[in-house]
Amino acid sequence: MSWLEPHILSNLVTLGLLAGLVFAARVVRAQRLWREAAVELWRRRRFAILVVGVYLLIGLADSVSWTGGVPDDAVGVLPNAPLSVLDRAFLDSREASYSAPFAAVEFYGGDALRHPGGHPLGTDILGRDVFYLSLKGARVALLIGGLTSLIAIPLALLFGVCAGYFGGRFDDFVFFLISTMASMPSLLLLIALIMVMGRSTFSVCIALAVTGWVGFCRLTRAETLKLRELDYIQAARALGVSEAKIIFRHILPNLAHLIVITFVLMFSGLVLSEAVLSWLGIGVDGSWGQMIDGARDELSRQPVVWWNIAAAGSALFGLILAVNSVGDAVRDVLDPRTARES
Amino acid sequence: MGAYVLRRLGYGVGVVLGVLFLLFLLFFTITAPEDIARKALGDKAPPEAIQTWLENHEYDRPLWPWQDWDENLLFDHYRKMLTFDFGVSDADDSPIIDRIKAGMGPSLSLTVPLLVLGLFVSIPLSLLVAFFRETYIDRMGVFLCVLAMSVSTLLYIIGAQFLIGKVLRWYPISGFDASLAMLPRFLALPVLVGLISGVGGDVRFYRTVFLEESSRDFVRTARAKGAGEARIMIFHVLRNAMIPILTRVVLAIPFLFMGALLLEAFFGIPGLGSMTVDAIQSNDFSTMRTMVYIGSLLFVFGQVATDISYGLVDPRVSVE
Amino acid sequence: MKHEQMSGGHRAVNAGCAKTTLRRAQGGVLSAIRGPSDFASCLLGIGLAIIFSLSACSNDPYPPEDGEAKVLYSSFDAAPRTLDPATAYTTKAHSVTGVVYDTLLKYHFLKRPLELMPGLAVDLPLVTPLEGGRTRYRFTLREDLLFADDDCFELNGEGRRTREIVSADIAFQLMRLADPLIGSPVAETFANIDGFVEFAAALEAYREEDPAFADLAAHEQYAAAGGVRGIEMPSRYVLDITLHRAYPQIKYWFAMEFTTPVPWEAIAYYTGQDGRPRFDDHPVGAGPFVLSEYDKQSRYVLSKNPNWYGVRHPEWKAPAAIFPTEGDEEDRRSGRMAYAGRSLPLIDRVVVVREKESIPRFNKFLQGYYDASGVIKESFDSVIQGDGLSAEMEGLGMRLGKAVSPDVFYIGFNMNDEVVGRSNGESSRKIRQAMSLAVDSEEFLRIFQNGRGVPAQSPLPPGIYGYESGYENTFRRPNIERAKELMTEAGYQNGIDPTTGEALTLTFDTSSTSTAGLNQVRFYTNAWRQLGIDVQIDGTTYNQFQEKLRQGDYQIFQFGWVADYPDPENFLFLLWSKMGKSDFGGPNATNFSDARFDELFVSMKARDNGPQRIAEIEEMLSILERERPWIELFHREDYSLYQGWVKNVKPMGLSIPTYQYRDIDPTSRSDKRKAWNEPVQWPAYLLLLAGVMVIVPGVLTYFKERQ
Repeated sequence: MSWLEPHILSNLVTLGLLAGLVFAARVVRAQRLWREAAVELWRRRRFAILVVGVYLLIGLADSVSWTGGVPDDAVGVLPNAPLSVLDRAFLDSREASYSAPFAAVEFYGGDALRHPGGHPLGTDILGRDVFYLSLKGARVALLIGGLTSLIAIPLALLFGVCAGYFGGRFDDFVFFLISTMASMPSLLLLIALIMVMGRSTFSVCIALAVTGWVGFCRLTRAETLKLRELDYIQAARALGVSEAKIIFRHILPNLAHLIVITFVLMFSGLVLSEAVLSWLGIGVDGSWGQMIDGARDELSRQPVVWWNIAAAGSALFGLILAVNSVGDAVRDVLDPRTARES
Repeated sequence: MGAYVLRRLGYGVGVVLGVLFLLFLLFFTITAPEDIARKALGDKAPPEAIQTWLENHEYDRPLWPWQDWDENLLFDHYRKMLTFDFGVSDADDSPIIDRIKAGMGPSLSLTVPLLVLGLFVSIPLSLLVAFFRETYIDRMGVFLCVLAMSVSTLLYIIGAQFLIGKVLRWYPISGFDASLAMLPRFLALPVLVGLISGVGGDVRFYRTVFLEESSRDFVRTARAKGAGEARIMIFHVLRNAMIPILTRVVLAIPFLFMGALLLEAFFGIPGLGSMTVDAIQSNDFSTMRTMVYIGSLLFVFGQVATDISYGLVDPRVSVE
Repeated sequence: MKHEQMSGGHRAVNAGCAKTTLRRAQGGVLSAIRGPSDFASCLLGIGLAIIFSLSACSNDPYPPEDGEAKVLYSSFDAAPRTLDPATAYTTKAHSVTGVVYDTLLKYHFLKRPLELMPGLAVDLPLVTPLEGGRTRYRFTLREDLLFADDDCFELNGEGRRTREIVSADIAFQLMRLADPLIGSPVAETFANIDGFVEFAAALEAYREEDPAFADLAAHEQYAAAGGVRGIEMPSRYVLDITLHRAYPQIKYWFAMEFTTPVPWEAIAYYTGQDGRPRFDDHPVGAGPFVLSEYDKQSRYVLSKNPNWYGVRHPEWKAPAAIFPTEGDEEDRRSGRMAYAGRSLPLIDRVVVVREKESIPRFNKFLQGYYDASGVIKESFDSVIQGDGLSAEMEGLGMRLGKAVSPDVFYIGFNMNDEVVGRSNGESSRKIRQAMSLAVDSEEFLRIFQNGRGVPAQSPLPPGIYGYESGYENTFRRPNIERAKELMTEAGYQNGIDPTTGEALTLTFDTSSTSTAGLNQVRFYTNAWRQLGIDVQIDGTTYNQFQEKLRQGDYQIFQFGWVADYPDPENFLFLLWSKMGKSDFGGPNATNFSDARFDELFVSMKARDNGPQRIAEIEEMLSILERERPWIELFHREDYSLYQGWVKNVKPMGLSIPTYQYRDIDPTSRSDKRKAWNEPVQWPAYLLLLAGVMVIVPGVLTYFKERQ
């Protein structure tokens, strides 16, 4: 067993993200401006923040996994396979096929279930517990939103800040690149990218990032252009402070609120885009989008299999609604000026 | 002024050339033409047939100018796209330009009513919400907007087909007929779905526009003079908000031609959107790149036109 | 135009508010109420507009019907890539080419198992064995057959654009099959004709040597290349085909559109240049229907062909041009025999509308807008009960047709692979056997196909010579215990690979990446997981999948095969080593190669049906049972549902369209359509009421708050 097993890598990444979160929290506490914003945010959107927190916890429970500790008689579990906390909670929950929420028998055919009444949201066509699948979707959604933002935002910052700060040829080039990318229809570009890169979680995220960074880059560039002209930055330059130091000490902190706003607002759009990609057959495995796409046919079954689409639809809806409403508040609190964008 | 117009035009041309280069990178360098040929001709196609196919589609040449200056795919790509010679579909050999011409009508017949009705629904609604600002109607309205925005379009479509098409039998579940008598029947459902899925974002956008306008000095002046609230909303606020509204509309116009991907595919409207979906599903690269190109072209055109008209209206713009 | 509407709307609102200002002078409160009630009245107006449009609405997707013509409505999901009878090889293409083109032989509409009868030919071919193992098939064409009227023909004496069909037209089409430029997928089969391969080579050589030759019209090129030795035309109506080796199955190919008469004029005319369509999109044939309208994006129409011999010469009573007079008990019961002897076709037109998604299509069928439909799995439980239709469907007058389709679906192992293939010897055989034991076809059919289908024991489906209903494959009866034992014997106890200490990991390649498609694959991988085998699903695009197949870079895959003709040779050749994917680019994607199997196959292929052939087939099946290159899954069972007003539906399998035999009762259809499609209007009123109930209190509260 090597240290580069995928599940160990995933555990490490999760740990890193947690550490980052703690660090961010400390930073927020340390600075008055941020602390006040956080307090105001909590006052306005307590409930939505809690909902997002629940999703995060579920995602976390599905991201930490280890091998072993599985009873030998568990059906359909590979020996030595890494299982997450969530997997372990639903170990051995499989049925033969569809069953309705809390049912005791199979939906079609009426055979007895292995766990009568044990599936609060029923089971899907392969007999998997829908509650379990919906919970697992949280990690996929967070992964899509998070990973994509992690690719797109640094990319946009790098280009936007450098172009805005240094200007000249590089700025011309970046501006041209942005105009070019922005003029291509984003959904088509997205599909084209996935068509040529092949279909995997990572390539979906990359494609989403490539189509998503443009708007933010434009924003940071414009903002940096403005910041560069401010007196104290001009003064710092005159005093001979190094360019890197100016960017890291003065420009980036002034862009932080934009980063937070963009991240939150971008997130919901990304998750919704994935649902469309799933319908085109190029989505990410295990996403709510795929569940909805599969459930499309089930709605026409008679009697209707409704619990699948209901579960996936409301899980997706809950996350997006919570994020959107937090996003609204974040924007109002941090930057009332940009409230008109998007 | 003339210099400004020229500069904007020049920049637009530059962007189009850049788009074409990105398209070339995407569609020619990564997927080998042989694979497209095999997909189009089927598994059992003999090598001769594949060679013929490559020749017929003019894929049988090197990629870059430094490999062969006279005959290379890069120059061909630029030449063909810029002269609107889109060639034939990789999937079924039909001329792409014919399909675009045929698809434009159905697409427009969906998107134009959608845009117009969208304005008629979302502007009064957002005026209403802005009118009742800071009351529970406003908060409700904004909440409903966020609610409407948080539902995936897929769910709207599936729901509407199920409820209105199947259970209530108001309109055909899907289909299309270009005759004037039949058209409204087929368009009713997709337009309705398009309206509902778009109204949330639109109302939220226009509401902020109206609120911003209504906090201006002239509104306060009007109010101080004793003008009625409704009168202020319509005469002062709406009129002054026309510029951002029109900008948004003008920028949306080019995309009307591209159709609506999801709506067209689900409701069986044979427009450019469903043509694009077909192209995606049949790995029809030549159609895909044509569609991306046309989309970008329309966008650039719309932007340059808006910029220039701003420049004409407001001389300050051209100096910037 | 848009701008005009905008300002128009603006003006209307202004007018409403002008009143407000007038009232303002009279009193503040009144004016304040006026404003919002304008909005309310506006909403009321919108609501009324909805109601009006609703009362005028209808879900009928067709314009009002014209006259007394009998029109059949059907649907297609995507247009076929080509309708050229030399290359079209898909069910959706055959549903057009099958009635637009006619063939020398046809299958009897009612008899099962399928039986050949003469079509354009006067009789079945005269078979004469010649020296050197060669065989001659002599076909005699009917006289006075005409192609459908078409612009590609010169005007004839009667001022019409058509021409008589002669044996040279069939010879021309056979030569097209050999033409490497056309790339017919069945060229391999027709290589049994004497001189066929040489003709293809000659054609290619001429084209390379002489550019002027390549510019000639196709029929001139073929003539200049000297034709095919084994295709002779002793007279205008007689065609002799000589095979250089025994291939009795050739007769079936003369019931397929590959051997239809094709006029050289059409090939020369429909080149896709000068605004003329390509031959792929503009068929010119001699079948009972012509393709009178063809819009690949939205619809096509097949109209009765006035030039078809069944229409022009009903007095011939040609077997393929009248409704058959022989049928079985079921045919009598269903009333089909009442049509015995009537001339075909019975309907005037078939309108085929594009319908990409299956559910809207089925719903429209239920609303009466399509005449026939498959039973989609989603609606199965409401449509089918037990063996027949549900009471609800019976009440609507629907009827059901069932037939086992001549096909086989299977999971294949790449025998060239190092783990599951032959190089791993006995161990890999045991793995394959164990994996075969773990897959429960019956359960699969129950979950995904509503139990429609027959679990397969061998590649041969019911109705094919050599199929035995009693035959049971020892490795196709699910038995997890035995499978686990086999895994242990193979050296993989509990699926653990002794070299790595981890689960044996295999890859299942698939190009169906839809959610539904992936679920089916997951069913198999879940089954194998019970043995401790970790099978990863690699969903790729079709291109990438084909590339993998070509490079031999795959382990497990799933395929289906639908028969071209009812003979075991058409199934067992999929495992013949000469058809190997990696070595010969053939359809044997498992690359299975077994000397004894090959020997038996070659012998069985050339033999006529009889006890010896049965014995050979049995031995071949037993080799497959032991070696397990395939996990045979199932043979599909087609359920077709049709409306009470449609007569004479009897599926034939083999993707043969049978429009010419159908009949409909238009009066009954329009009555039923009306009755089934009354819109439900009360929710609209309810919606309006709800709207009012939300707005009014809202307005009231607003004024309370302001005061």
